[in-house]
Amino acid sequence: MQVTEIQAEGLKRQFKVVVAAQDIQTKIDDRLVDLGRSIRVPGFRPGKVPMSLLRQRYGASVTGEVLERVVADGSRQAMSDRGLRPALQPKVEIQSFGAGTDLEFNMDVEILPDINPKDFSQLKLEKLKVEIAEAEVDSGLERLAKSRARSEPLKEQRPIAKGDIAVIDLVGSIDGKEFAGGTAKGLSVNVGEGRLLPDMENGLIGLLAGSHADLTVNFPGDYGAPTLAGKTATFHVDVTEVRVPVPVAVDDALAKEVGFDDLPALRKIMREQLEREYTNLARARLKRQLLDGLVDAHEFPVPAGMVDMEFEAIWKNVEAERERGALDPADAGKSDDELRAEYRTIAGRRVRLGLLLSEVGRLNNIRVSPEEVNRAMSDEARRFPGQERQVVEYYRKNPEALANLRAPLFEDKVVDFILELAKPTERVVTTEEVKRLAASMADAAAGPDKGSKKVEG
Amino acid sequence: MNRRRPPKPNVAREDMYRIILSPVITEKATRGSEHGQVTFRVTMDATKPQIKAAIEGLFGVKVNAVNTSIIGGKLKRSRGRLGRRSDYKKAIVSLAEGQSIDVATGI
Repeated sequence: MQVTEIQAEGLKRQFKVVVAAQDIQTKIDDRLVDLGRSIRVPGFRPGKVPMSLLRQRYGASVTGEVLERVVADGSRQAMSDRGLRPALQPKVEIQSFGAGTDLEFNMDVEILPDINPKDFSQLKLEKLKVEIAEAEVDSGLERLAKSRARSEPLKEQRPIAKGDIAVIDLVGSIDGKEFAGGTAKGLSVNVGEGRLLPDMENGLIGLLAGSHADLTVNFPGDYGAPTLAGKTATFHVDVTEVRVPVPVAVDDALAKEVGFDDLPALRKIMREQLEREYTNLARARLKRQLLDGLVDAHEFPVPAGMVDMEFEAIWKNVEAERERGALDPADAGKSDDELRAEYRTIAGRRVRLGLLLSEVGRLNNIRVSPEEVNRAMSDEARRFPGQERQVVEYYRKNPEALANLRAPLFEDKVVDFILELAKPTERVVTTEEVKRLAASMADAAAGPDKGSKKVEG
Repeated sequence: MNRRRPPKPNVAREDMYRIILSPVITEKATRGSEHGQVTFRVTMDATKPQIKAAIEGLFGVKVNAVNTSIIGGKLKRSRGRLGRRSDYKKAIVSLAEGQSIDVATGI
């Protein structure tokens, strides 16, 4: 096998590979002999089929098979001999092959760029450490109490006021005809909370339990259901009961009700939960900062083929969103060309980051152990109670899906590794600040995570 | 005494196609091909001279000799009923030195 490089430009390489006809012929014959041992041909005992018959019957398909393998082997060898790592599957174009002539093929390939990870300690990172204020815990507890709120029937008959809970049956009609979704029985309405249309809630105020009323309700022009928007409907309402909410105090009783011993224990859990939430936010910001820093610090050519692939994937998403009419409002006003340019940049960024992260992982021997994958798998399975087995089965059968699990694990590990080297400065901040910083970051989010998944997977 | 050789049969072209049914491809037949013998299935009523003429006419080769044999069909039982596969005639044709027929090409 002879391999000659006929073009080298940037990351693109083109090779010309020549394989002697003799070599191919021997390979084909070997394969035929192999085949002859196992197949059954009428008129012959297994293994006794003459070569000429084999060649005549199976020659064509075996030739194809062998060619494929020779081409695959050839391209792999061409790469490994030169110590190159291809970014994508090489494109092979067969120049000539016939009986007795040498096989000649050209191979277009893009190689992975040489990446020299910079000194990570140069990265300027800031790790936010969140101080949870007592007030934050208190408000969290209050929210919990509120969600646990109960109600009791009115002790004395009185008209409905704001803050009451009215239990009503209603039948709605437009122009004398009932319409779909306009009927309900035993509906609890927190009057004054604004969950229902204002006309409806205001109409309820002042009614007594056991009374009936016909309410005229104007649906606003931008109402969710287009068939109702802008229409006027009449609702016949029966008030079956009026209840008042009973406030729940934040005390040991509440703690007991949600399954803790006493209030301090509940507080502790609450604080921990909040801490976890904010730490995740802070970590997301830190990671984002890190990725931004990495992209800025590393300049290397990116294989165009990979960018194309990533871009195609994003673009497909965008088109699907447009189809559903759920296009990002920020993108709505832009022309196709602008969008394409924008997403192409994003694709480039993702690929660059993905390559960089996987390179760092490779150089530093960062691996995702099977145990970790298993843990992720069972976590995933737990999200579908009752179908755990099917989920596990699915992953076992789809190595690709498993790779999808592994990718984020790998990414996290690499990020952790870099963070350790980068030694981010720590800053203690309040919860509000975290929220603000995280929000400002989310605006610019181009989600580099996905890019690296693709590469790793 | 002068025994007269019967005259060469005159076999029409379409009769040639009719007489020769198919090549026989088996281990045994392949073994014969090593000595320039080719085996064919032929119609039951074909005679050796006819077969010779047909092979020479169809494949453009020189035939030295033709041996034939009638292969009796096997008795086969299917659902308890007795059945019999039909008999057929097999012709082993010896070609002149250096000649061959590619069985694969068909006629």
